[in-house]
Amino acid sequence: MLQGTLDMLILRTLLLGPAHGHAIAHAIERRSDDVLQVEHGSLYPALHRLVKQGLIAAREGTSENNRRAKYYSLTAKGRKKLAAEATKWERLTQAISGIMRPAEEEGGS
Amino acid sequence: MKFRRRREESLDNEIRDYIERETQENIEAGMPSEEARFAALRKLGPVLNIKEDTRAVWGWAWLESLAQDLRHGWRMLAKNPGFTLVAVLSLAIGIGANCATFSFADAILLRPLAVLRPSEVVTVGIPESLEGFSSLVASYRDYVDIRDQSKSFESLVAFSESSFGFAVQRDAPSQVRFGSLVSGNLFRVMGVEIELGRGFRPEEDQVPGRDAVVVLSHNLWERDFAADRTVLGRKVLINGVEFTVIGVAPERFTGLDPILRTDLYVPIMMWPRLTGDPKVNPLEARDRRSLTIKGRLKTGVTTSQARAELATIARNLERTYPETNRNREVEVRTELESRIRRSPPDAELTAMLSALSIAVLLAACANVASLLSSRAPVRAHEIALRLAIGAGRGRLIRQLLTESLLLALAGGAAGLAIGYAGIVFFRGIQIPTDLPVNFTFELDRRALLFSLIVALTSAVLFGLAPALQTTRADLISALRSTVSGIPGRRRMWGRNLLVAGQVATSLVLLTVATFIYRGFRHELAQGPGFRTDHLLMMSFNPSLVHYSESQAQQFFRRVAERARFTPGVRSAALAFSVPMSPTQDGATIVPEGYQFPAGRDSINVLADTVDENYFSTMAIQIVQGRGFLITDTARSPRVAVVNEELSKRYWPGQNPVGKRFRQDGRNGPWVEIVGVAKTTKYLWIAEPPTEFLYLPMSQHPQQRMTLLAESFGDASGLAEPLREVVRGLDANQPIYDIRTMEELYRMRAVNVPNMVIQPVAAMGMMGVLLAIVGLYGLVAYAAGRRTREIGIRMAIGAQRQAVLRMVMRQGLVLALCGIAVGLAASFGAERVLNAIFMATGIDIVTYLLVAPVLLAVTLLAAYIPARRASRVDPVRALRYE
Repeated sequence: MLQGTLDMLILRTLLLGPAHGHAIAHAIERRSDDVLQVEHGSLYPALHRLVKQGLIAAREGTSENNRRAKYYSLTAKGRKKLAAEATKWERLTQAISGIMRPAEEEGGS
Repeated sequence: MKFRRRREESLDNEIRDYIERETQENIEAGMPSEEARFAALRKLGPVLNIKEDTRAVWGWAWLESLAQDLRHGWRMLAKNPGFTLVAVLSLAIGIGANCATFSFADAILLRPLAVLRPSEVVTVGIPESLEGFSSLVASYRDYVDIRDQSKSFESLVAFSESSFGFAVQRDAPSQVRFGSLVSGNLFRVMGVEIELGRGFRPEEDQVPGRDAVVVLSHNLWERDFAADRTVLGRKVLINGVEFTVIGVAPERFTGLDPILRTDLYVPIMMWPRLTGDPKVNPLEARDRRSLTIKGRLKTGVTTSQARAELATIARNLERTYPETNRNREVEVRTELESRIRRSPPDAELTAMLSALSIAVLLAACANVASLLSSRAPVRAHEIALRLAIGAGRGRLIRQLLTESLLLALAGGAAGLAIGYAGIVFFRGIQIPTDLPVNFTFELDRRALLFSLIVALTSAVLFGLAPALQTTRADLISALRSTVSGIPGRRRMWGRNLLVAGQVATSLVLLTVATFIYRGFRHELAQGPGFRTDHLLMMSFNPSLVHYSESQAQQFFRRVAERARFTPGVRSAALAFSVPMSPTQDGATIVPEGYQFPAGRDSINVLADTVDENYFSTMAIQIVQGRGFLITDTARSPRVAVVNEELSKRYWPGQNPVGKRFRQDGRNGPWVEIVGVAKTTKYLWIAEPPTEFLYLPMSQHPQQRMTLLAESFGDASGLAEPLREVVRGLDANQPIYDIRTMEELYRMRAVNVPNMVIQPVAAMGMMGVLLAIVGLYGLVAYAAGRRTREIGIRMAIGAQRQAVLRMVMRQGLVLALCGIAVGLAASFGAERVLNAIFMATGIDIVTYLLVAPVLLAVTLLAAYIPARRASRVDPVRALRYE
């Protein structure tokens, strides 16, 4: 997995609203159609790093079935960061697909 | 710390939460519960790695908040410069005292030998003790047997240190140099890399007297050869024997003695040719025990195993050589142990200084803690506010501790200055000898590291309790008013005791310093009882250049004779030891008819061997009978002169002239007393009257003598002409310890008392300073606690003066208690000191000098916070009501 990709995916997931670790892991897995298979544990260092950078905030809360859990939510700074990263990512993927497409054609011929 | 634990718990909960949710989902998807849990764990990945990675993320956050704390702490300290200054000063005293003490202990006891892996080096040998001083020694044969029979040691080296006559070439004048006869393996075993040339070859350690090769110390090479690299192969003279220079030792290696610096190393096999006494072969004589053996234990061998093995060897030796090794144990000691046993007074002095400086540090820490607590009411408001808006207590404690750390580091930095002053003071200690004594008191890396550790420890000592106390504040009451109850009575008791104790201790130290000062002044005014001016001395040991006993005696006589006819010399005499010089001799005598107490059959007295001119040259008065005469010869009846004290003790109320004693014990020869000399000072200026015996040089030949020349003019002007005299008799004769009596007297009689007075006075001053800080902190603390009460009193009409008196009363009571206890202790100390100095009666002046001054400064310390308390604005004090 690309450096920083996981961070971006987390931010993207939290755009939809606060979530706890387990939910974030599954959301990422689902939304990427199970392509991005990661060990869910690697999520936690990333979450703590994002908290430290002030991109997301952590809060103790109560979940649907009255269980205490730690909820993460996007901060304003995180929102800005996500927007910037998304543009950058768009440009990168375009560039990569621009390079890769002719290669596929060559491989196919 | 608590903060970290909570965060740790939170992460655990988070992970547990994940596992539970995932397991639940898996069960809902139809997995059996056991399998569902495993699947969840698999999905999560390795838990330990996850935690480790997460902690790594925190690590930086922790550092970041430390930087924040440091900034905040710095701001707080800068905002209260008075408090900061006082706290830093107290800590500087505490840390500085420890820094200086460490440097002292390091120079005397602790500094490791400059060899490879010094902590492994142990000393092995036969214990030989003299009045509590015990060293491990061995003869060369002992060494060979122990080396060959033991299996516990990697290898054993042997060496013997002594003075040698050394000349850089055949016709150059001989100088006294301190050298070491060493076993050939010494440099190899100790891991000493020879700087220039080579060390000893194994074959140079085989044949007695064959390989005359020498390795010079770096120091000697620089001093006597100007660091000339062509020195290798040069011929030098050692005790008159020609040696070839083969190497120069590295600068950092100064020998295996912690105190004396070795100038040259020669193979132990050369011993027989270097010794002054041709009758004894030191490589064969089993009872010539002047070697030290050192080595390393084999890996895996414990000291107790080695000890057991050495005991077996000792019994073997005892069986084989009963006449020399009966009841001789063989022991092993670590380097530290061997240094302590070798000179217990040094270790005791070090321990005493350490205890004193630790006490000073603890008092300083207690004072700063008290100061910090006194600020607690002030800070409580700020702290409570921060707690209320959600700051964690752990974080706040950390912040307060960071402040303490800053204080401690500042105190440590200032303490280094004080410590350095102490080190400079220790460096001023002069030992009047030509031996290369190597007490290097240094503010080196070891001392710096030690001071840092002390500073960090003190930060915890003085910072933790106030930090805990301050952050425990009850939020509501702390926000409402600055008064949070009266502290426990016992707590205040402890502080009161501490402050009173400081006042008392500093009083004792100051009075003792004053007593000693006055005592020494008295002694110096009385004088030592012998001539201290217009005298030059120089010493000779002709056995270094192979003189026989009779040649040596003849040499001494001729030097004195020629000195007498040298221009500028009024008179000249010879003595084995000069009063107050570090070397002193003793004699064992049995006075005729004296009834000894049970268990004793002889007495040991200080003694000196002198010629017939000694008493007149030294201006020591003969009060009865006569001094020595030219007619007291080796063949005439044995005679002696006693001093008044010896006469008074063993022949009370009688004329001792004509009385007899046996010399050297019960079966020794009879000696007749022919005269009584006035009692003088013998060892140092403040000694009580001491018994002393003089023996004539003609009947008591010594290897070493000192020439004393009385001058008409400046005594030091005689040095050159007298050197010429000696050169005229024997150009190779080494001369050592050339100095004037004035110089010796200044070192031993004038400076030594200062060496005692100054540290005691300095400690006393530091004690006063600490007591002031302590009292100030205490009164400020108490006044702070009573701000509201004071406000009420003033609101209902109390006068400012009355408030001032009320607050000061506590300080006054403590100061008076401290002074009372201190005075009582000083009376005790004075009695002890009176026994040492002959000062009479109670020294009222000292008390009149010290006690009021101390009372005044302590009252001032109480006055400042009291004045502040009395200026309290009642409206402000009651604001929170």
